[in-house]
Order: sequence, then C-alpha cells, then structure tokens
Amino acid sequence: MPVDPMLQPLVAGFAVEAQEVIQKVTMDLLELEREGLENDALAKIYTRLGRHLHTLKGSAASLGLQDLGDIAHKLEDALAPLKAHTQKMPRPVVDVLLHGLDLFMLRAQAHADGRGDYLPDPAAALAQLVAAAPPPEESAVLPGGGFAQVAPDTASAPAASAVVSAPASVLSEAPAAPEPSGESADAGWRVSANQVTSLMREVERLREVRLRVEERSRELERVSTLLAKQGLLAETAEARTLLSGTGRSLRTDGEETSDVVDALEDGLKAITTRPTRTILDPLQRMVRDLSRQLGKEARLSVVGAEVSLDRRLLEKLQGALVHILRNAVDHGLEMPAEREKAGKHHEGALTLRVEQQGNLLYLEASDDGRGIDLQQVRKAAEKRGLVTAEEAARLNDNQVRDLIFSEGFSTRSDVTDTSGRGVGLDAVRATVESLQGRIEVASTRGQGTRFVLTLPVDLGSSPVLMVRALEQFVGLPMLAVESTQLARADMLRVGKRRAHMEYQGQLLPVVDLGARLGLRASSPPAEGQPLLIVQSGGKRVALGVDAVVGDRDLVIRPLPSEVRDVAAWQGAATLSRGELLLILRPDWVVSDSEKVSVSAVSRRALVVDDSLTARALHRAMLEAGGFQVHLAASGARALERLQADTYDVVICDLDMEEMDGIELIARLRENKDTRTLPVILVSAHDTQVARDRGLASGADGFLSKRECAAGRLLSEVLDVMSRRGSRA
Amino acid sequence: MKGTLRVVDEALEDETRELLARRAARLREQGESTVEEAVHWIAEFPLGEERYALPLESLRAALPLRMVTPVPLSAPAVIGVLRFQGQVLSALSLASLLGGHGWRQDPAVLLVVDRGDGELCALDCEAIPRPTTLPLASVEAARARSEGPVVEVFTQDRQLIHLIDPRRLFLRSDVGVRHAR
Repeated sequence: MPVDPMLQPLVAGFAVEAQEVIQKVTMDLLELEREGLENDALAKIYTRLGRHLHTLKGSAASLGLQDLGDIAHKLEDALAPLKAHTQKMPRPVVDVLLHGLDLFMLRAQAHADGRGDYLPDPAAALAQLVAAAPPPEESAVLPGGGFAQVAPDTASAPAASAVVSAPASVLSEAPAAPEPSGESADAGWRVSANQVTSLMREVERLREVRLRVEERSRELERVSTLLAKQGLLAETAEARTLLSGTGRSLRTDGEETSDVVDALEDGLKAITTRPTRTILDPLQRMVRDLSRQLGKEARLSVVGAEVSLDRRLLEKLQGALVHILRNAVDHGLEMPAEREKAGKHHEGALTLRVEQQGNLLYLEASDDGRGIDLQQVRKAAEKRGLVTAEEAARLNDNQVRDLIFSEGFSTRSDVTDTSGRGVGLDAVRATVESLQGRIEVASTRGQGTRFVLTLPVDLGSSPVLMVRALEQFVGLPMLAVESTQLARADMLRVGKRRAHMEYQGQLLPVVDLGARLGLRASSPPAEGQPLLIVQSGGKRVALGVDAVVGDRDLVIRPLPSEVRDVAAWQGAATLSRGELLLILRPDWVVSDSEKVSVSAVSRRALVVDDSLTARALHRAMLEAGGFQVHLAASGARALERLQADTYDVVICDLDMEEMDGIELIARLRENKDTRTLPVILVSAHDTQVARDRGLASGADGFLSKRECAAGRLLSEVLDVMSRRGSRA
Repeated sequence: MKGTLRVVDEALEDETRELLARRAARLREQGESTVEEAVHWIAEFPLGEERYALPLESLRAALPLRMVTPVPLSAPAVIGVLRFQGQVLSALSLASLLGGHGWRQDPAVLLVVDRGDGELCALDCEAIPRPTTLPLASVEAARARSEGPVVEVFTQDRQLIHLIDPRRLFLRSDVGVRHAR
C-alpha cells in the first residue's frame, strides 16, 4: 500500500491530526461505558463519536490510505447498532473499538514515517474487529500521548488473540521506531532551551520598546498642545499638523508592534508549553485497561488539566504519573466486592490534581483504596534486604512510608505484568528529584493514599480570574474559584462583626477583598456585589469584590525578594499592555481574617496624592504613628472613599490634575459630614504664596513636601487633630 | 611660484608638528595626574535639599516612574512592582529606606540598582542622576569611618555628597512584610 510520493508530506500532518481525533474518541468511549448517563447525553456522545470516526475515514481515503479507511469503516460498523438504540456501551464493544483505534494509529504513524510498505495485510485484524470481544490487553502510553499494544509476555499471556497480535506485529516488523518526541526527524528543528529562553527575553524587551513608542506618541501630543497654547496658531499650524501626523503614525506602529509581541508570545508559548491535559487524558485509558485486566473498577478524575506547562517537564512527568497510577490501581484499590464490604463504592476513585502557585507546581495523585500497610512495608523491606530487623524496628511511620521509594522495593512476592520487579517508585522519585522537585506520600489505612509532587516551573501558564477591589486589579487562580454569585439580601446574614452568606446549605464567611488588602474599612456586601466562592484546603469563603473583569491565561512569575514573604501574593503576571497583575494565594484568602483586622479604635487617615511615591511615603510615616491609612489617587476617588468610610484626618496634595487640593477642600466644607474634618495640604511648592493660598482655602495645616520628613508630618497631623477636637 | 609654496608648506608642517607636540605633552600631564588621583565614579541626584549618590557600577538603568503596580500589605518602603527586561522588580522609596526624608519634587524616575547580592531593585529618585566622580581616597576614608549604608564624602569643590552603599542599605533594611498573615 505505497503512498503517493506527492501526498507523503500530507500524511505526516494527517497522523498528528488523527492522534488528536483518536484521543477525543477514546475519551468519548470511556464516557459511554460509564453508568448513570442520561439518554440525551448518550445520544450526543454517539453522534460526536460517529462524526469523528467519519472524519478519520474521509481523511484517510483522501490520502489514498485504504487500510486506514477500512479500519475506520469497520469501527463505524461496530458503532452503528448501538447508535440506533442509544444505550450505555458494553465493555466488550469498548474494548473492540479501542483496539481498532490502536491499530489505526499504529498504521497511520507507520505511513507517516514512510514505513507503510512494510505493514502486514490488515485483513485478519479487520475480520475480527467486529467479532467477539477480545480480552483487554495491557496498554502502554507512548510519548506524545498515543497508545500502543505491547506484545504480551509469552509466559503470562500465551493465548493472545489475533486482533491483538496484529498491532504487535506492526511494531515488530516496522523498520524504525518513531522519534521519542513523536515527531519525525524532518518535521521540525531541534533548538536548545537556552535559545528559546533568550528569544523570550528578546520578546520581553520588544514589549518594553512598544511601551516606549507609546510614550513618545504621548510626548508628541503634549508638544503639539503646548505649541497651540503659545497663541501662535497660524505660525505653528504646519508644525502641529506634522507632529499630529507623526503621532498618529507612531500610535499605529505601536499597535502593530503590540500585535507582533502578542503573536510572538503566543508562538513561544505554543512551542515551549502544552496543556497538562495532553498527558493526563491518555491516563484515563490506561487506568481503564489496567483495572479491567485486574478485575477491578476504577475511575480517574482530573482537576486542573487546563494548566499549561513546559513540554520538557511534562514529558518527564508522564512516566512518573503512569507509574503512580498503575501502583494505585494494582496495590491501592481493592476488588469491587471487597470495597463494597468495606462500605465503599464498588468503583475506586483516583484523582489527579494539578495546581500551579507562582513558580511551583503541585501535582497530587490520590486513591480511596486500602492505604499503605506499614507492617507489610516493614516486612517487605527486611525481606529484600533494604533494612535490617533492628533498623526497621527503630523507624517511625513516616520513615517506613518512605521505604516505598527505595530501590528494589516491592510488596509483591511474585512478578506480574504490572508489578513485583521492584522498579517503580524509586524511579518516580529519581525523576522528580532530577527536576529539582520532591515527592511526599500520606496514607490512612483503609481510606487511601496520596502522593504530592512539588516541582519548580519556569514556563507555563495558568487560568486566572481577574477581579477589582477599588482601583487595585488582582488575579485569583481559577482552580480556587468555585462559582460567582451576586449578593442578595435574602442570602446574607449580617452580624455585628462580620457577614455570612448562605451557599449550598452552608454559611460561608463573607470576606471583603478591599478590606482584607487594607484598602478600605470592611463593610457588608452591597446588593448585586459580586461574591466569589473561593475554596482552598477544604475551607471556603465568599469573597466580595468590586468587579469581575474576566478570565485570562497568564504566566505567573515569582515576586522579588522584597515582597516575596507577603502572604497574600503568590506571584505576578504580565497583562497585554505590559502592566503587572498580582496573583492572590487562595490559602491566604480563606485563612482567618479576624486575626489581622486592625483595631477598630485606631485612628484613620486618608492620603490623597496623585504621586504613587508620595502616597507610599505618607502612608509609611502615618502607619509608623499608629494610623490606619487608606489611599486615594485623585480628589474624585477621595470623595468616594469619604462617602463610604469615616476618617480622622485627610492629608491632601495641593497640586493634582482634574481636582486639586483647594477644590477638594471646598467640596468637603460644603458637606455637613465632612465640614469639620481636619485636612492638611502638602505641596512641592515651598513658597509663602502657596502656603497662604492653601490655608485660605480652609486647610487646617500646610506642609511643603520638603518638610515631610519623619516626625514632622505626624506632629502636624496630631496638632491639627487636637485643634479640631478629634481623637488625637 | 613653486618655491614659495614649498616654504608655506614647510611652515605649516612646523606649525602642525608644534601643535601636536603641545597636545601630546598636555595629554601626558593628564595621564600622570589621573594616576596620581584615583576617582570613584558615582551617579549623583538630589533628595530634598541634599545631594545623594550611588556608585555608578551598581546602576543598571534609569526609567520613568510609571507602570508600577502597588503591592497591598507590603512593607512601607515598597512602592510596588514593575517589569524590567522580563524580570519582576520591586520599586522602593529611597526616602523611606533612609528613615523618612523630605523631598522637593515628587519622584519621576526609577533607578534600577544592583543590590549587591546579585538581585536588582528600583529606587525612586527626583531627577535623572548625573555621572560624576569623587576622590577614591575620600570615599575609602569615609567608608572606614562609618559602617552605615550612607557615608558623607566631600567633593573636590567641598560639596557634601551622601554616598549610598546598596549592599549595606539592603542588608539593614526591613523591606519585607507589613502585615504578615
């Protein structure tokens, strides 16, 4: 069955595409054999399955790959009777279809590698494809997520079926094994990680250049405005027109650069990372086949599969995860009858959870099986000579559990297809350690076992929900956000100290993000305010935010040392315009906020200044004096803050854009609630004129910024408050 | 005619030779004086009414103060975080790090500085610094007198400069958490 040489380049692309389609079909088949699906859902899956198989058949035929077209056709035949009478798919049929897909994929890969001529006639395999169901066979995960039938061990499985032997012979007859990466040698380039990293740095620089171009464009606009203000409109008309044109061109160039930067970043991300799903989805099949082989029932749930990670890391982790899950099915899960006897569901639950926090990746694999029998581990370690009886007697439980990672350790006395060779968790630990990570195990007898892998990551992105509290935008890892609700009076219980929200029969504490971040005083949520149900480590809270901006897929970078220890933040991510978004730690969000709330009797100051550094300095000085300080970047924001909160003193910059200090004081004096509020004006203008103007406007005090050294501002504040009769 | 031209050419050549000789002598003198008086290059900038400086070798870049994201709950000296060449850096208030210092103009510049431990951070500044020199002997003497992060050094024209030692400044500074857990 030689492929037309003209079409050969297309076959490689087809094999990649077929791999993706087959992965989808596999997931659908696993879903179809599960219990409890409604007829509507079943019908939808059958329809999708039929469409995918038809796509495979059509694509294969269009490339002249008759053998593949025939296999897909037979698979459609096997599906047809079930599709007509929508029902749960019997396991033997799922087995047949999965074997057919394996056969299809192996042959597609062989065609892509130019080995199509060496393939055996598929007639025998095809003849049996829709016949009686073969016994499940051991499957191995190929690099890249594909599956291959492994030639059965002749000692343990002497009577392999013809269907199974066909793909096995494909493997043995094939002249060359595919590249470990799953790509043929001429499908791309091999580049070093350093080259890619340096390219990423260049893209970062380009982004900064783009920001500078934007700044230049704004400068041109300012020059143009200044020229117009000189009153020489006619004389400068030509120059202003020229400047405006150049400004417009610069803006267009900036926008184009921005698009280029985004495209480069996306491209680099696609080159260097891929979703964790690509290695986790194939594990579903492995768990299913292995549990069938062992007469067990198991279901694998995956949480966090959308997290994208460094491809190199994923490739290395794939083997480790396969091993942990095989161990869980083989050693951890009990037989269905035994589980039911112990009061458990007959189907064992395996869970894989992936979470990225800053530059750390947490990978948790757990089962609800029998747990680790420490006594058995002690005995096995002694028997295999890993520890002496005296040493074993001295070990505590954690140290005994650690023995399972020792080289040569196995609790099996006999060698089976799945275990007993003593090669396993030591290899997993070696892999994790080679990635500068660590692996920990926790287990409760009769309840299950949990492995936690912690690994450093440089690349990769995580889904983040972007929210706003006052003017501060922050991100929350999507994994921690259970749902978003809008506050309604009937679901809130507002107490003296804090509010609670009724959610799914539970009362959750309501946490105001703005107050938790020290940006404002805490208050119960307003009607319609977004409340995010955030969970972490088994705790849940309703987090009140001012707005939900939307979800983003972001690369989270570690914070610099000066802010790394601030418990609220796990890292920062760059948004499309180059600004940084701080990412919250869910465990901090759900932790008890009562302990950190500032004493209700502390004095409150509002600092109003359009300079970020001036606000930071005033805040530092006032906090050192025991004040609780809130900040506002403009007069308008200050008025908003004063409507919501009460303050003992306001420190306000004289010269601000839009609304200056004088205007703000005038507005405060008009309002009966703020008429007597002490206000101190500060200004960079250290002149008598500025001082007189400030005091005449109704300010209680005036300081030049030069005078705002430590102590001076505080003494002025206390003096002014005492004159106004406040709580100084 | 030709003879007259040659005379003029020769006179010019003599003049040129003399000029080059004078220049060479002047350069030799400068070289000798450079060897005699070693200098310490600094980046000098105003802070309030005073003049401060950082060693020029610790300065990596001067940036406009913008695109800084405030970090709630961080230490008072932390203005926020920003991106610089693909890294996330902290922007710190120099006036605050120095224990509360008045200023004349709201800082508009960030100086990216090597902290002395290989990490970078950005310090705010009222104006773009000016590269200049201090006599190395004066700098060394001032450093020997004080172990603090800021030493006072006089320039050749008797101007007082407060020279910051970034390594000492960050060893001493508490720029971590404001309200931990």
